[in-house]
Formats: sequence, structure tokens, C-alpha cells
Amino acid sequence: MVPLTGPSAADGAEFRKGVILAIEEINVRGGLLGRRLEPVFADTCRQTAEEVVAAARWLIEKHDVHAIINGYNIGPQNSEYEPIADAGILYVHANTLLQHHDTVMNDPDRYFGCFMTDPADYWYGPGFIKFISWLRDTGQWTPESDRIAIVSGSKPYSIVIAHAMAAAAAGFGWRVCFGPRIVQTPTSQWRDVLDEVRATDPAVIANTHFYSGDLAHFQLQFMEKPTNSIVYLQYGAMHQSFSDIAQKKGVGVIVSTVIGLLRDDIGKRFAARYLARFGEGSTPQIGCQSYSAMHHYALAASLAGGSGGPGSFEQNRKVAQALKGSIYRSVNGIVRYHPEWQAAVPYPDVTHDPSLGLPHLFFQIQAERKPLALIAPDPFNTERFVKPPWMDRRAPTVVESGRRRS
Amino acid sequence: MADDAFAADERETLEAIRAGLDAVTTGIVLWAKDRTLSYFNLRFRRTFEFPIRIGMPFEEFVSVLANSRECLQPCAIGEWERTEAEQFGLEKDCDYVFADGHVVNMSQRPVEGGGMVVTLTDVTTIKRNERALREAKEAAEATDEAKSRFLRAANHDLRQPLASLKILIYNCIHEEDPEHRGDMLHAMDIAAAVMEDLLGALLQIGQLDAGRIQPRISTFQLRQLFERLDIQFRHQAEEKGLRLRFVETRSTITTDRALLERILSNFVANAVRFTEVGGIVVGCRRDGRSLRIEVADTGKGVREPERAVIFDEFYRSPDSRRGAGGGLGLGLNIVKRLAQLLEHPIGLTSREDRGSIFSISVPFGNVWHSDVGEAEITETVAGEFVGTPVLLVEDDDILRRTMRSLLERWGIEVFDAANEAEALRLIEGGAAPRLIIADYNLKARTGVDVVSAVRERAGRKIPAMIVTADAEPKVLEGIRAADIPVLVKPVSPPRLRVFMHNLLFEPSLVGGGQ
Repeated sequence: MVPLTGPSAADGAEFRKGVILAIEEINVRGGLLGRRLEPVFADTCRQTAEEVVAAARWLIEKHDVHAIINGYNIGPQNSEYEPIADAGILYVHANTLLQHHDTVMNDPDRYFGCFMTDPADYWYGPGFIKFISWLRDTGQWTPESDRIAIVSGSKPYSIVIAHAMAAAAAGFGWRVCFGPRIVQTPTSQWRDVLDEVRATDPAVIANTHFYSGDLAHFQLQFMEKPTNSIVYLQYGAMHQSFSDIAQKKGVGVIVSTVIGLLRDDIGKRFAARYLARFGEGSTPQIGCQSYSAMHHYALAASLAGGSGGPGSFEQNRKVAQALKGSIYRSVNGIVRYHPEWQAAVPYPDVTHDPSLGLPHLFFQIQAERKPLALIAPDPFNTERFVKPPWMDRRAPTVVESGRRRS
Repeated sequence: MADDAFAADERETLEAIRAGLDAVTTGIVLWAKDRTLSYFNLRFRRTFEFPIRIGMPFEEFVSVLANSRECLQPCAIGEWERTEAEQFGLEKDCDYVFADGHVVNMSQRPVEGGGMVVTLTDVTTIKRNERALREAKEAAEATDEAKSRFLRAANHDLRQPLASLKILIYNCIHEEDPEHRGDMLHAMDIAAAVMEDLLGALLQIGQLDAGRIQPRISTFQLRQLFERLDIQFRHQAEEKGLRLRFVETRSTITTDRALLERILSNFVANAVRFTEVGGIVVGCRRDGRSLRIEVADTGKGVREPERAVIFDEFYRSPDSRRGAGGGLGLGLNIVKRLAQLLEHPIGLTSREDRGSIFSISVPFGNVWHSDVGEAEITETVAGEFVGTPVLLVEDDDILRRTMRSLLERWGIEVFDAANEAEALRLIEGGAAPRLIIADYNLKARTGVDVVSAVRERAGRKIPAMIVTADAEPKVLEGIRAADIPVLVKPVSPPRLRVFMHNLLFEPSLVGGGQ
């Protein structure tokens, strides 16, 4: 179930490629216990509940699929779990949604086959707060104040992250001075909200909306009158399309992902295979999600003695059990399913052991047209944080008679 | 012949005696008057690893034994040799502890006419049994003492939150402001939780006495601890007219959270108890690689001679003994023992009549490892609907309860009503819902009527949705004509979620429903 048309078609194309590459690799080695795997793709278009549920039904009823392996679909809010649970097949996705926990934990027997291969959106919140606290406490950055401004898009994902940031802030010595303000998205008009943000003189500005184009406009409009703040833009700023619009004004921005391709030998070799297979224009940094989910599923199905189609509850419960029981070192790091959440456990947000969790990676755009700098967490980081250029460009602060003027 | 026969008999007898003495389990040795070895039995020879011969001088035997290191000497080798030589032929008894752990009792007796006989008896088993008995007795006494101490400590430490609880209950009875009352109930909840934690910690103290406690080291934000202590002691300080201030901190530390809380709670409790005017400040500062947490008060201070003994068990200052509010002298001793266990240095600086600063230094932690409470990750913490007030109108009691429970699981603040009158009363009572979810068939009224009435009373067009079991096209058309989206029962939670999200956050996506 991948969005091959609509606003997320670029990501959808990579999710499709990730599944294809994984299946080709598995089939070359003899398939799943001797049986060849065959992918079937359903277009989820704009990813509305209706479209994603229809896609799930089509795959189950028309193609008798044994499992549905995805990247993300943002719209259905778990509606698609119903036909999948009715059929008793496996579903592994990267929807990155806290509500996955709620659904699975409230009826673990019914949703035994539903897995989220990345951590919930929630973890972006405390993870980001720890990140800026780490910059502060290690002296890499000296904030002018403890104030944070939080702007959110209107999708559940963005709202949850904004709430989670706000909930974690005080515990680490930060004060939310603005928001979370939910802005109707998609939008490219951020000037009004930015004016309000500037008035609160924040040390940190976080925008949890995730469409790359919208975020690029946010950054351009921020740069019209920058404040002495760290700027964090959610996920979408990792995309090339963000830098294409923001260009050099995007340099300095912080962005993070709870699932991303590592820059070690394993990650590099995967990227090389991916580019060789699909061409230089493809993006292994996105395709890695469905690629690793596919491999992990195949491994678990092998351990369980094979996969099962719709109605094969008993066999698929064994596959689910094997998926939970096997810690898998993917190209993105360790995928270890929490026994109750059935979602990947994040590092260092939950586990402090990098061999037991999927790394929450923090990047900084440090140069136009160059790969993002991976600046945290240890031991995955390859570069260091650099003070954003707009901080130097501001007029110096003048202190006069005990009153401050900028 | 008779002489020969007698001599033969005597030889036989001597052989028999020698064989008999070789069979006994006691080592026997006879030293002649000229201090040479004249006899030893088999057991004696086997007691030592080095060779022994008849005619061997006593001084040589002592020297070989001393240098063989087979026995643990009570003093320097030369001195021991001299003492043994001087005591030749005297009556004496002592124990030799051998390197392999055996204990041998040596009994030396003079022989008539000169020389001496020495017997060696293995008393290892007897000594082991004696030691085991002694240790068992000491352990029994320590356990008994630990039990008594536990009871005294329980009484001492539970008094603080109990006092807070009593004040809060008293104040709560007379409090009419619901918000203030809610705050107090929350504080009571915390105080009860603190008592529960204390009981657990005191149990650990009992285990500490028994040497069984293991610290559980974790990394966390110190401010979380300050917040708990603030709630625990704020009311007591206010009762005494004291200012209690916790200086803002953003430090990450690595230690046992519960044990550190016990230490700081003892410091603050003492500060409140022994300060009559002024206040208490709790703060921290960097001290090399550690963070020093300080509890400063404006009390009477600790006199110079008392500073050395104030952390001793059952020590109570003369002022404390006179006053009614004094403790049992256990708090600071518990602090000392816990700090030793955690290997955290504690400190005290004080000026008489000016105040005291009690401190403990703890290691800094890695902020990435700071505990954020994994167990609490649900939608009630940071879900998209968290804290959103919603008015639920449903006349079926069971359905209302089920729906309420579902919405609360998502972090929603639910105002529920069985009918229009109840809904209007909620609005009049100050409820300000951001969304209305109404059943369609509400006995005398329809959900559409109730939505209109509520909107009119609230003076604004609150977003609303109707849920109905009546899927008649005519009914659905009627609801849509009122421009209210509709969901048909049974309501699927994901579908309800999508509807609510759109109504609250993305109204442009709201359609007419099913």
C-alpha cells in the first residue's frame, strides 16, 4: 500500500523500490523456505482512510496476500487495521503514529499481526528536547534563554510531536513561550505566525509540520528577519525538495528522523546496491524503510516455518511471534519490537543501548547541495553541530542601563 | 638368659607402646634434657612437611619451622624463635594456625628430670564450629537490632508526609474553591505516594542493615526530584511561616533516585524542623566532575563539637531533646549510611545562630540517558486530542460509559450528559467544549436539536457530529441538511478519530459522513 500518485508520490515510489530490492535479494537466495516472493502494489493516492482501506481490501480479497509491507500512509488513522485484523495476515508499516500503541495494546489478540517498524511520532518530542539539552549542557551552544516556540501542522503526527515536545520541555529546564500553535496545513504562508513567534524572543523554534515544500517556505520567511534561535523543522526538511526551494537559506536548519539510513559500511553498501538497481535519481534514504521491513518479515516467516495467507491465523501468529522475538540489524540500525507496543524501540529515547534500539538521528543542513551532517546521537554521528549562519548575522545585543536592546 | 628374656620382653613392650602411640591422632614429641629430640610419633612427623630426625636440636627445629612458613607466626620470626627457646621446658598451651587453614592446639609440659613432652591436637573442627556459632549469634543480634531500628526509622520518616497529609485534609474540609481543592487533593495524592515510597525505602534500610541492599542507578533530571520534595515539604514550611525555595535546575544526574530522595528529604525535613525564622533554599552547583546539592537554612546552626557526631546513630542535639518536634536521631545517620552505599560525599558547613548547609555531591549524568518514563507513553500524555474538552450527549448509560472511556483513553476531557437539560446545565456550569458528539435518538429530542440548543446557550458554533443507529436515508439526509456530519453505529474508533480530527483541526476535510 504505497502512495504512487498524490502529494507523497515521491516517497511512495521509494517505498516500492525498497520492497522490490529486498524481494529480489530474497528470491536470489532461494526465496522464503524455497517459495518465491512476489510483490503486489496498491496505490493509496492521497492516503485518505477510504483509499488506504480500499487498498488493503483489494490486496487481501483479490490477491490473497500473506503480508502487507509499507512505508507510511498518513491518513487512515488505523482504519486499515480492521480488514487486516479480520484476515489475520501480517502488516508491517512505518506510519510513525502513537495511536498504533493504543490500538494494539487495547486488543493485542485481534491486532496480533500489526507492527510498526519505526518508533511512534511521540518520541520526536522528548528526543528533540534531549537533543537541545545536550547541545546546551555540553557547551556546543549557549542559548540566550530557556524559551521554546512550537508551531505544528494540522495532521495528527505533527500535533502529537508538538504536544510531546511541550510535555517534555519543562523536565529539562525549557519553557514553552509560544504554542503549540496548530496551523492549518498544507500552507506556504507562515509570516503571521512567525511574527508572533519572534515577539516571544525564543531560543528555539520548532515546526512539527512535515511537508518539505511548506517547511522550505517557513524557513525562507524566517530568514526575512531571523531571530537568535535554533530552528528545527520536522522530517520533511531532509528531502532534496526542501533544499531546492530554501537553497542556501536552509543552511543551519536542524532536522531529525526516528528511522533513517545509517552511514556505516552496511548502510553505504545498501545505498550502492539501491542506486545501481534504480539509478542515481533514486533515494535509498527513503527506500531503506520498506527494504528493511521486508527483510525482517521474511526472516521471521522463515523462523516460523513459512507465511500464511488470509485466514491462516495460526501460522501468522507464529510469524508475529518470530517477528517480536528476533532482533534484526537492518540498514537503519536495530529493529527490536517492544512486546506490548509492537513498535520499534528507539535509541536513545527509550533504550540507552545502541544495540537494542533504532537510532533517532539528528541532522543539520551545513552546506547547500551537500549531504546533511549527521550530528547525533553517538555512536552514529559523523559530524559536529555548527552554529547556524543567521545567528552571526544578527545585530549585536546592546546592554544599556540594565535594559537590553536588540 | 633371664636378662635376655627380660630385655626381649621390654623391647616388645616398647615396640607395642611405640606402635600404640603411632596409632593415636595426637602428635607426641619428647625433648631430652639436652634440648635434643629423643622421640616423636607418626602423627607428629606427618604434621610437618620438613624432615625431622632423632637428635635434632630444639633450636634447629624451631628455626626450620619458623622459616618453613607452615605456621602463621604472631610476631617476627627471630622474636618468635627467641621466645620459644626461652620457654623450653615450661608449661604452656597455645594454638598454631597452619597455612592450609588447620588449627592445632600445642600443649607443652615439663618432664621430671629435665626435658619436656609436647602434644599436638588438631582442633580445626572445634574452632570452625565455635566461629560459626559466634557468627550466628552476632547475626541474630544484628537482625534483632535491625528490626528495632527499622521500627524507629519508620516512625521517624513517615511523620513528614503524614504531617503534610493531616494539614491538607484539614484545609481541604474547609476549602470551597474547587480549583484550590483540586490542587490540595493532588498534593494529598503526592504525599500518600511519598509515604508509600518511604515505606519501600525503609524496608530497604532494613535490608541495608542486613547488607542486602543494591542501589539501582539510573540517569534522570534533578528537577523531577526537586518538584516532589517541594510538594512534600511546602505545606509544612508554610505552616511554620518559613520560605522554602528550590532553585531552578536543569542538571542531569546519575544515581539511585529513591535513595537520593531519601537523603535530600532528610536534609529538608531537618531544615524545616530546626529553623524558626527565615527560610530554606535547596539548590546545586558544579563541583569539579560532580554536582553538589545543597540544603541551606537560616536555623540555629550546628555547634562546633556537634558537627563531628551529628551523623551518628541516635544522636540528638540538646535543643532537639528539649523540644517537642525533635526526631529520634536517625535521619542523618540514615543519610550517612545511604551516602556511603552510593559513594557520594556528604558535607556540612554551619555558623552558629546563622544557619547550616547540608550537602551531597552526585555524579553528572548523560542527558541522552535521562529517564523520560517509558511506562507512561500513551495518548493521555501527548495524543493529538490531549486536554481537548468534548461534550458527549448519549442517553444509553452503557454506551455513554463506553464512549467516555474510549475518549478518555485518547486524553480527552469528557463532559457527558444523558439529555439536553443536562448538557445545558454543563454549559451553564462553565464547560467550554470544543466539540459536541451527540446521539441522534434522544427520547424527546433529536441530537440535532440538542446541538442547536447547546450552540445557542454557548453563544458560538461549536463543531459537532451526530452518531446514530438509525441508518434510514431520510434520517441521514435530515442530519446532513443541518450541516452536521454523521457516523452510523456501531462506531469504529479509527473512523471516529478521523472525524474528530477533521472537525477540530482540518475543517476543510469534513464531509457529510457515512
